[in-house]
Amino acid sequence: MSAPSPRTVAQAIEDAAASSSTGYRFLEESPDVAPYHSYADVERMSARYGGAMQAMGLRKGDRVALILPDNADFVFAFLGAVRAGIIPVPIYPPTGLGKLSGYLENTLHIVAKSGARVLLTSSEIKKILGTIQAEAPGLEKVVGVEGVRTANDKLRPEKIDLDDVCFLQFTSGSTARPKGVTLTHRNLAANVHAIMPVGLSIQDGVDHGVSWLPLYHDMGLIGFVIAPVYHRNSITFLPPLLFLKRPARWLESISKYKGTISFGPNFAYALAVKRIKESEMEGLDLSSWRIAGCGAEPIRADNLRAFAEKFSRIGFDERAFVCCYGMAESTLAVSFSKIWTGVRADIVDGETLWSKGRAEPVAEGTPRAAGIVECGAAFEGHEIKTFAPDDEESVRPLPEREVGELRIRGPSVMQGYWNDPDVTKRSFAGGFLRTGDLGYIAEGKVYICGRSKEVVIVNGRNYYPQDIEWEASQVEGVRKGNVIAFGTMKGPSDRERVVIAFETSEKDEAGKKRLEADVRKAVQQSVGLTVDDVLPLAPGVLPKTSSGKLQRAKTRELYESGELLGRTSAREVDKLDLVKEIAKSQIGYFRHRLFGKSDD
Amino acid sequence: MTWNRESVHKELIKVFGQHKQSEVDVSETSEIVGDLGIDSLGVMEVLAEIEDTFKLTIPDDALRDINTIGDVATSILTRLESDGRLEG
Repeated sequence: MSAPSPRTVAQAIEDAAASSSTGYRFLEESPDVAPYHSYADVERMSARYGGAMQAMGLRKGDRVALILPDNADFVFAFLGAVRAGIIPVPIYPPTGLGKLSGYLENTLHIVAKSGARVLLTSSEIKKILGTIQAEAPGLEKVVGVEGVRTANDKLRPEKIDLDDVCFLQFTSGSTARPKGVTLTHRNLAANVHAIMPVGLSIQDGVDHGVSWLPLYHDMGLIGFVIAPVYHRNSITFLPPLLFLKRPARWLESISKYKGTISFGPNFAYALAVKRIKESEMEGLDLSSWRIAGCGAEPIRADNLRAFAEKFSRIGFDERAFVCCYGMAESTLAVSFSKIWTGVRADIVDGETLWSKGRAEPVAEGTPRAAGIVECGAAFEGHEIKTFAPDDEESVRPLPEREVGELRIRGPSVMQGYWNDPDVTKRSFAGGFLRTGDLGYIAEGKVYICGRSKEVVIVNGRNYYPQDIEWEASQVEGVRKGNVIAFGTMKGPSDRERVVIAFETSEKDEAGKKRLEADVRKAVQQSVGLTVDDVLPLAPGVLPKTSSGKLQRAKTRELYESGELLGRTSAREVDKLDLVKEIAKSQIGYFRHRLFGKSDD
Repeated sequence: MTWNRESVHKELIKVFGQHKQSEVDVSETSEIVGDLGIDSLGVMEVLAEIEDTFKLTIPDDALRDINTIGDVATSILTRLESDGRLEG
C-alpha cells in the first residue's frame, strides 16, 4: 500500500474532528460510568487543555511533564500539548505500596533530563511529589489538572512541521540514567501508517479498539491514542489497574462494544487464563475480535495457546493472534506477523541454535526441536538485518538463519535520545539502530531468540539489574560493588525469576539468613518486585572479567547449572570475550523459555 | 453481613497468608511488598478477593496510602463503618 502524504499528529486531530460517529470512550471502575467523546469533542477538549498550557506560559518546543492517572485527562492534555507544539513527557503515576522514594527519584531524573518547565498532575499526586520542584532545575511549577478541566483559554494556533519533535518517551534505562526517545511527527506518521493500514489492514472509522494498556507506555499511547486519531477509529479505554484487579472487565468490554482490536503483553493473556472464572465468561461473545496483538515482552506460544483454548468457547478465534516485535526507539512497531494466521513458529534444532547460533529447520517432534515464534517481516520502507555484535559499522549483514544482533533502519526509527549524544551515538552502528535483541531472519521474517541487554522483564515491565544491585548494596553486611542481580526462567515459575547473589564476609549461618531477609526486603520495598532467590556468597566467588567487571551473564550460567553455590575457591578470571559470552549465555537463557522446562 | 475489627483482621491475615511469596509470618505490621514479596500484580489480585469478601470497592487512589496489612485493615474498617456494617 503506497503511503499517503504524511500528516502531523496535530493535523490528524483536526481532520478527525469531522467525525462525530467515532471517538474515545473512557470506562471507569463503576460499570455505569462510560463517558464517550466523539473526535469532534476530542478536538475541542484538547484545544482547551492546550490553551491552558499556553496560558501557563509554555511555548512551542517547551516540555511539559504529565503524571495523570485519569485516562481522559491524560489524552486531552497530551493531544492539547501536541497541538500547541509543546512537547509532552508522559511519566507513570505512583501506585503507592510503599515504594515512594524510588518513584520520586525516578520522576526527578526524568523531569530534570527532559528539562520540563511545568509538571501537570492531579492535586492528589501533587501533594506527594513534595520536593521535586525544588530539586529539578528548570521546573517552574507543578500544576493540578482540575483547574484545566474547566479552563476557558483559547488555543493559539501554532505551525507544526513534520520534523518538529512530537513527544518524548522515557524508557529503557536504569533509574539513574533515564533515556528519552525523541519522536518527531514524521516518525509517528510513518509508524502509524505501517501499523494501521499496512500491518493490520485497519478499516478507517470501522475497526473498534479496546485497551487497558497504560497510556504512559508506547503500546497504549501510540497504538490506542495516536494511531486511531489518524484513522478515526473508536477506542474504549479501561484503567490499567482495573484490568489488573478484574481481568474479566477486559473481555467484557470487547464483548459489549464489539471490539475488533486489542493488544497486550504476554502476561496479560496469561493473567486472563489464570484469573477469569467460568462464571465471568457467561454471556460474553468475543467473535468480533479479529486482531489480538501480543508484544512488549517475549512471547510464549504456550500462554497464547492456553488463552485460545479457554476462550474459544465464547467465540475467540486463535487466528486473531498477531505476534509483534517493537520498541520505543522505533516509535512502536518494528514488525507484525501476518494478520489472521495466528501464532506461527519456526521449528529448528535446539542444540545447533544454542551452540552454533544457527537456526537449522527440523521436523516437528524431532528430539531437541525448538519452536521460535515468528514476528513477521519489516514494514515497507524499513529494514531489519542481523549483524555480529562487534560489527560496529553494520557492514556485513549475516546470512539468513544465523543468529546475531537485530538492527533496524527506516522512517520510524528515532533520531536519538533527548539531550544524550553519547548514548545516542552508541545506539547506532553505521546508520542502523542496535536493538540489543538477538535473533535471526528466515525468508525475510524475524525471529527473536534473546536479548543482549540485561534487563529483567516481569509482567511487561523492564527492571534494570543495576537498580536492584544498588538497593542490595545499601544493606549493611553486603560487600559494596559485589552484588549481581539477574533474571532466569529456570525454576518453578511461569514468569521470569529474580535472583540476587552477593558477597559477604559473614560466616555465621544465622547471620547469613538475616542478611538474606534484609536484602530481600530492601529490594522488594524499593524496586517493587518479588525477589525469588537471595544467595549470600563468600568473598571472591562472583565471576569477574580480567579487568574486574562483574559478569552477570556468567553468574546466571553458573546459577542455572547449579555451580554457583559450589564455588568457594578464589575468583576465576574469565578470559572469554565478553560479547560472545553474553550472546552464548543469553541464547542459553532463552532455551528455558522456549522449552518451558524448569528442571533441565 | 456485618463485621467487627477482629473478624476483619483475621480475614486479612488469612488472605495475605495465601498470597505471600516469602516464608515469613503474616501480621498486622507486615509490609505487603517488602515483607510478603507480593508484587503489584499480586496486590491487585488480593484486592479483588478482599473487595468480593467485604462487598466494597477500594479505589486506586487509596492504594497510595497502603503499605502494611494494617493499612488495608484501616481502609476497610473506614468503608465498612460508613456503610453501617461494622459492629462494636
